Amino acid sequence: MKEQERGETENDQAMKLAPDEDLMLEVRNGAGETLGVLFDRYHAPLFSFYAKLTGDRTLSDDLVQEVFLRILKYRQSYEPGTPFRAWIYQIARNARVDHYRKTPRHITFEPEMVAPVMPKDSAQQSEETELLHRALMQMPEEKREILVLSRFQELRYDEIARLLGCELGTVKTRIHRAIQELRQNFKQLERGLAPREAGPAVVKNIPPRRFGNEV
Amino acid sequence: MKCEEIGELLPDYLQGSLKAEQDNLVEQHIAECGDCREEVAIWKKLSLLPVEQPSAGSRERFEAMLRAYQTGRNDKVTGVERSKRGSVWNWLHSPVGAVAWSAALLVIGIFAGNYFGNRTATRSNSGQDEIAAMHTELANMKQMVVLSMLQQQSASERLQAVSYSRREDQLDPQVMSALVHTLRYDGSVDVRLAALDALSRHGAQPQVHKGVVDALQEQQSPLVQVALIDLMLEWRDPDAAQRLRNFVQTPNLNPTVKQRADWALSKLN
Repeated sequence: MKEQERGETENDQAMKLAPDEDLMLEVRNGAGETLGVLFDRYHAPLFSFYAKLTGDRTLSDDLVQEVFLRILKYRQSYEPGTPFRAWIYQIARNARVDHYRKTPRHITFEPEMVAPVMPKDSAQQSEETELLHRALMQMPEEKREILVLSRFQELRYDEIARLLGCELGTVKTRIHRAIQELRQNFKQLERGLAPREAGPAVVKNIPPRRFGNEV
Repeated sequence: MKCEEIGELLPDYLQGSLKAEQDNLVEQHIAECGDCREEVAIWKKLSLLPVEQPSAGSRERFEAMLRAYQTGRNDKVTGVERSKRGSVWNWLHSPVGAVAWSAALLVIGIFAGNYFGNRTATRSNSGQDEIAAMHTELANMKQMVVLSMLQQQSASERLQAVSYSRREDQLDPQVMSALVHTLRYDGSVDVRLAALDALSRHGAQPQVHKGVVDALQEQQSPLVQVALIDLMLEWRDPDAAQRLRNFVQTPNLNPTVKQRADWALSKLN
């Protein structure tokens, strides 16, 4: 019995160190419980990705669950050698697009908005953070997404290019434009001028779903 | 160097992937150019934004999903067998079915316990206590059935829930308030009338009393209004006269209802 227990702990430790791709191959071969390790690694970053994109906690929680359900459902489509991070973000993006297809924004319930937690350093800094948060949320989702992916999810530009299905150069250009827009929004907010509302435009700005490599 | 050229380098600069030479170029430029400097600054400031944390129950939800998924997969193997008794099985898996099923098992347990208890003639006090506890648990189960059935979409199921609740002499406060809620807001007149009927036996409970009396002003259906007036008369509610006097002033009141209210007023005075 003890032997077995020790065996399990060693196995657990090995799993905790294993690369994502190896774990995903185990899941693919039927070891559903191994997905738990991947869940531990990815659910918080995915939640933050969705929260920054949608501003809606409940929806973000639901979408994270949806991603892992899809991984189980479509695990056979995971090709050995595919970088797992790219794959899971592809699923995450599709899950969001599909959600908005089924439930256009105007008929969803009042979202439980994500209130930015203020750092307690100084009043000035917290005001700045608040403005920055608003400036980010005012951007159309498509532009916000590229910033979130690169700045918060810390994806490399080549990973983003693969994910969005565009050239590396295009990613860099779009990031630069997004930074410029964020800065404009922020400056306008600082001056107390609300820039044009992003509100209803948001739905239109969801990037088209990429076909091929579909999960 | 122009801002445009720097702009091309900027994303790589921000990720720290420029060669030293180009890195210096950008540094020199942003030292002189306020606009580009602000772009770099706002990127850096983004790190001030908090990282949203998922809800506490996230992991449990995931595990439940995983279990359900794996059970579902195993079940597919025996799926043919199951499909024959699909409807019963589905019912047993519905929330109402699950509660009813547990209640049924408990009943069987209690009867079995009583039976064997009597047979072996070892009815100690602790055994009786156990039976009492089981009875309480059974009552709770029934209440859960009522509560969950009151949430159902179909009016006939809600009607059934109300009639179940009538079998109990004592009502759980939660069931009572659910019935009062049903009386006030249920979409079906039949269900509202049944709820009123069920509540009529519990007029001694202040919670029920108030709920029923308050419901008069909100009711739109003449049938329910008449039933409420009758019940208030029956209960000899101290406020009944005052409430009815207000009620008959309601504009566009159904003539029959008004007649009934006037009649009740005459009885009360």
